[in-house]
Amino acid sequence: MIPLKHMKHWKWSFAPIMAICLFTSVPLLGSLQEGVSLALEAAFPYVKDGFKIREDNWHGETTSNKPLLVKHQLFRGNEYWFWAATSFPDSDVTVSIFDGKGNSVSLESFSKDGKSGVRVLPNKTGTYFIRVIVTSTEHKELDWGLVYGYR
Amino acid sequence: MNFLTHPVIILTLLTVSFSTGKSHAQTPERIDLTAFPGEIVKDVVIPIPAEIFAVLDKVGEPDWENAIIHVKTDMGVKDRGFLAMSFGSLVAEGFIAVQAESSDDIQKIGRRSLEFAEALGLENAVKQHSLTVIDSAKDNQWNRVRAELDKTQQTVRNTMDQQRDQEISGLVSLGGWLRGTNVLTGLIADDYTVDKAELLNQPDLVLHFRELIAGITGPIRTTREMVEIETGLGRIDAMMRENERFSVDVVKKLHRITTGMLEQFYFDAGAEKE
Repeated sequence: MIPLKHMKHWKWSFAPIMAICLFTSVPLLGSLQEGVSLALEAAFPYVKDGFKIREDNWHGETTSNKPLLVKHQLFRGNEYWFWAATSFPDSDVTVSIFDGKGNSVSLESFSKDGKSGVRVLPNKTGTYFIRVIVTSTEHKELDWGLVYGYR
Repeated sequence: MNFLTHPVIILTLLTVSFSTGKSHAQTPERIDLTAFPGEIVKDVVIPIPAEIFAVLDKVGEPDWENAIIHVKTDMGVKDRGFLAMSFGSLVAEGFIAVQAESSDDIQKIGRRSLEFAEALGLENAVKQHSLTVIDSAKDNQWNRVRAELDKTQQTVRNTMDQQRDQEISGLVSLGGWLRGTNVLTGLIADDYTVDKAELLNQPDLVLHFRELIAGITGPIRTTREMVEIETGLGRIDAMMRENERFSVDVVKKLHRITTGMLEQFYFDAGAEKE
């Protein structure tokens, strides 16, 4: 067991390394968070319909047209919306959802202005797969963010 | 005949409105999950207890008030990893108190979460969330409390991630999931239906937590408490994979296992209400 009084000090020994990591990753982080912010922007209108938006999210970098697959636990009895976005203008995002056997279970979807959404009512509690594809004719490297809400 | 009431016109309008609507009318797409032609995202988002509790509320009237347990865990010389797990469990306790709409309990939990945050060296990151939880509970703003509890846990996890401490961040989630599953199994066992028991079908989450513990480095990994937790997760994993439908006996077993695991870091022995 580590005594509490020592806990606050251990991290300072890593401070120089952390500072370098933080410095080098600042531009990337800014861009990655923008994808999430825009996905949250797409989610916002649904709050008035009773959807509770989760704080946790998925984000990262990708290349144009490369499909991304996110695994996530859903519960029968809830209704879900997933919203994806990229901060790159003139880019398209599509988001789709599949059950554990790879069958599409998307009920409703939209894709507009670099934002996309898909609705699902799971008919079984279990693992589902959310596919995000970002495409652009101008940019090869793109950011993406994915958030979800339930009611 | 009015133009707009003509059957052909109505049919045409319906067809047009259906084909321009948002809904998919095409053949459902299928993907091959065994040979996905892209990138599998490794990050895992753990559902918060409130997500599962919302379903339970739709299918019954669980006794949330009686499910709240106030722990008096001694934080004196506890490992940082167990503190993180206790913090996650305490946030889950907050979600239970929100379901019970118990303002007093939420305020107590809000104050307690601040103590845990201080012990973790995160008081600055968590203070505002805890105060908002307490104030919102005083005003009975349950949705606000729920959102703030989610933010509290996320802030702690983000702060840990920024400090390159993903291990601690994962343990916060494990603590929350464990307490959520514990209360869920207790309530389902009390008023069992097959539909409710299906909520426990979460084998991939259990696998994620087993991998998290397997990857822990440092002295906490070999402590008696962590070995108990690892064994418990192994048993839960086996039960979830063996049973397509969870009988009431399986649900009761899951409840006993999770209680035993929580007694390693969160519950005082015998704290659970009978």
